[in-house]
Amino acid sequence: MQDLTTLQIKVQDPWKNPTDNGWDVIDGRTITDNRTLEADVIIVGSGAGGGVSAEILSQRGLKVIVLEAAKLKTSDQFNMDEGEAYRDLYQEGAMRATKDAGMTILQGRAVGGTTVVNWTSSFRTPHETLNFWRDQYAVEGLSRKELDPWFAAMEKRLNIEKWLMPPNANNDVLKRGCDALGWHTEVIPRNVSGCWNIGYCGMGCPTNAKQSMLVTTLPGALSSGATLIHSVQADTLIIEGDKVTGVNARPLKDDKTPTGASLTLKARAVITSGGSMQSPALLMRSNAPDPHGLVGTRTFLHPTNFAYGIFDKEIAPYYGAPQSMYSDEFVFKEGVDGPAGFKLEMMPMHPGLNTALVGGYGASAFDQAKRLPNLAGSIALLRDGFHEDSQGGKVELRDNGEPLLDYPVNEYLLEGTKRAHLTMLEMQFAAGAKEVRPGHAHAPYYKNWKEARAGVENLEYAPTITGLGSAHVMGGLTMGQDDSRCTVNSDGSYKHLSGLYVIDGSVFPTSLGVNPQLTIYGMSARNATRLAEKLMA
Amino acid sequence: MDQGINRRGFLKLGAAGSALLATGSSLALLTGCSSNTEGPAEGYRYFRQQDVELLTPLVGAVLGPALTAAGATAADGMKAYDDLLEGAMPGTRDTLFQLLDLMQLGAARWFLTGSWAHFAEQSEEQLQQTLADWSAKTNGIARMAFKGLTQPMFMAWYVKPAAAKSTGYPGPPMHVTA
Repeated sequence: MQDLTTLQIKVQDPWKNPTDNGWDVIDGRTITDNRTLEADVIIVGSGAGGGVSAEILSQRGLKVIVLEAAKLKTSDQFNMDEGEAYRDLYQEGAMRATKDAGMTILQGRAVGGTTVVNWTSSFRTPHETLNFWRDQYAVEGLSRKELDPWFAAMEKRLNIEKWLMPPNANNDVLKRGCDALGWHTEVIPRNVSGCWNIGYCGMGCPTNAKQSMLVTTLPGALSSGATLIHSVQADTLIIEGDKVTGVNARPLKDDKTPTGASLTLKARAVITSGGSMQSPALLMRSNAPDPHGLVGTRTFLHPTNFAYGIFDKEIAPYYGAPQSMYSDEFVFKEGVDGPAGFKLEMMPMHPGLNTALVGGYGASAFDQAKRLPNLAGSIALLRDGFHEDSQGGKVELRDNGEPLLDYPVNEYLLEGTKRAHLTMLEMQFAAGAKEVRPGHAHAPYYKNWKEARAGVENLEYAPTITGLGSAHVMGGLTMGQDDSRCTVNSDGSYKHLSGLYVIDGSVFPTSLGVNPQLTIYGMSARNATRLAEKLMA
Repeated sequence: MDQGINRRGFLKLGAAGSALLATGSSLALLTGCSSNTEGPAEGYRYFRQQDVELLTPLVGAVLGPALTAAGATAADGMKAYDDLLEGAMPGTRDTLFQLLDLMQLGAARWFLTGSWAHFAEQSEEQLQQTLADWSAKTNGIARMAFKGLTQPMFMAWYVKPAAAKSTGYPGPPMHVTA
């Protein structure tokens, strides 16, 4: 039996004494007065978009303040405790869901954003997706050929390369199943350096091997004179006439409620990098002009469905690099804008996430929970946003200004889910699973592929009982030169206010069809560099 | 409180359907049964006394033998649920409390779970039957309520190291601060 509990992890935390590094880091919880700070650029959010932008702008000599709502948590505190990770590093403590509870949303909330908790998969944006953006939304200058140098630069910066170690048993299920069926498989490129292959990417990397923003661009920006202010929530944009001149912000207590102090940040340019949901919500709270009512619309999730296989050998889905094999056999098989295509991957399974997804109640739920060591968890990420029946969700504000995503699960997604379930059931049986069940509240474990195929045909595919979730929140501030459908220009500038830039995944006009981090890095590097040139001119 | 008023109020909910639950305007608020202003129960950070009374038996039934296997009680499971709420945003908690306020009403429990009885008034066998009926419901609001209440119970419980071990997961490596 695999057991890593005696493995000792001891690494240096670069954040141990930020002032010794010459870093200017302000803990918002220590602010008790009403304070005003000035910079050239305010960046709201420290994830993939904000981290990359902060490093590039700082290195060009611009004074940058990075504002982050989460409190600073770094490798010394990454103790691989699943509950503490959800509490401290995820939006809404990993309890975020769509408005009707149809889809669970795992999105990071950390200094370093979702890059601190993602599973390291790093793909360049598919040609098909970028061509669709160009053709449908008049996105300019972001063809794959034009983006490739930016991807290459970020791959070098974040040490992204195909995983060289053998896949863990969980990912090997995907490889063996797809190989047996003649389906495409490939090794996943990961942003790691000296990875220990232990499997805790989703809880904050304890070895600093993952090249998240926390250990790369944010230290880079701070070393170039940027200021990081954490535990402070951007409340509203300061809008004077048609220009954004700063941000009104509120320090937060540990329980995420305001301390009562306030912070005013003034700058020549403001970049929103809060990620989808947070960035549109900031514009909505600020009553930013939006003549076509587009802000917050077309928010996408890669609605992800699940299949659980039981093997007669140990899988230990909690250990080892969480994602190392994928299949694109079905991602564009039905065309770019046809029925939902899906990417096949595996997911790491720890006890909390596993039991929450598997569900049930009583004795049978505990029986399923105890099968974890022999369980393989496969996932299919549906591409949303390419078909007229797939318009995504809409961000709304709760009474207290927090974002909430209204994204009903419709027939388009349910049809794609059913096909993906069948695909994954077939794959897991082909890999030797003894029993497999789809992520569906009414589905039993099936004993063979024939029984599974017949069983799925009799399942009711309806919202909530069909298990769906997402770790990829995209869109909501659509980019493109088509002013009737887009709110952000291809260079990241907001169409209806000067001084405001959107540099994060919320500019995507559709979902991607791949895990989003590298797309955000590459596009952010390109648009932050252009902004730096503009501000330095 | 007068059950008749609750029932009339509840019928309005039937018409408004999921919109009411989803927009968070709670029937219990309309009928004056809400206790949003009340503080947490003793020993809890977020759940109020009536939530603890309502949910503790349900936590016991949902987690079932998982609690026994870890030498724990339904109250331990309920405390774990309370811990999970610490990470949530205030708006996340409000939405949950609105659902719980609604479930204080017998008519709402009947509509959502198939049983009028308060969970504390049901035997273990009755609770298992209620869960069976509830999870087999075909109306969308009942399904939302089932998932919305039970899914966090699992996450809350199984992230606790003792509970995690009961699944066969050996646990994480040792983290030594350098």
